[in-house]
Amino acid sequence: MIGNDVVDLNQAHKDSNWMRPRFLEKVFTQNEQALIFSSKNEHQTVWLLWSMKEAAYKIYVRQFGERFFNPKRLECAFESKTKGRVVIEDVVYKTTSQYDKNYIHTIASRLGEKGVKSSCLKIENSSIKLQSQLSRKDVLEAYSKNQNVHNNSVTIKKDTLGIPHFFQNNKKQKETLSISHHGHYCAYAIL
Amino acid sequence: MTKEELIAKLKTIVKPYIQDEDAFENLSEHTDFINDLKINSANLVDVILDVEDEFDIRIENDDMEKMISVKAAMDIVNEKLAAK
Repeated sequence: MIGNDVVDLNQAHKDSNWMRPRFLEKVFTQNEQALIFSSKNEHQTVWLLWSMKEAAYKIYVRQFGERFFNPKRLECAFESKTKGRVVIEDVVYKTTSQYDKNYIHTIASRLGEKGVKSSCLKIENSSIKLQSQLSRKDVLEAYSKNQNVHNNSVTIKKDTLGIPHFFQNNKKQKETLSISHHGHYCAYAIL
Repeated sequence: MTKEELIAKLKTIVKPYIQDEDAFENLSEHTDFINDLKINSANLVDVILDVEDEFDIRIENDDMEKMISVKAAMDIVNEKLAAK
């Protein structure tokens, strides 16, 4: 199982003020706050931890079928600049993040599974409708090419938990899919 | 505060963060903050903090956890106001 999350750092800067009173306390544990304040780039560390939590949360919802809003319940730790793990109760997820000064893309997996196909693209237009269309088109093309089927026969539908699934000729496919978009970035991961 | 007044207040609070105008226009108790209004999850933290400020209450993470819909938010606010 996989989950992914992309953060457009410039968009995050515009939309969210994590220095707002009580923001950090709601989202990050004491250990995570220590990681943030001891890092060279606090803004980047805040959103790196955030994307790890989001990516792991997406697997948790898939695995246990329960939605909730409590980012602090998922605690992150870094293993290297790009690798980390996220713990929620007795469940551990592994994460791999790619980032530069403009974006962060994290892929979480349950068992550190190999063979994840992923992509993170920059797009010019940042309207949410277009983002959603473009990321679906991109992911459908990648999937049908890999499965060697015509991309008209494959569709993506979200279930009641908001999790996207591939359907081919109306039959749900076994591959797990995670889609994320934010600001000027669209990303997906397939396993 | 009546149910309608509470919904109206919540509607004003979420307005700056919504990304789906149609869902916002049709906002009801059953509206989901993320799936319907397409509020970015980081901005959901702002919604919670704005709710705290507006009603002068504090929402612990255990309560925040349920606040993914208008109905859940209304329940928590009512509970906190009653306990004041």
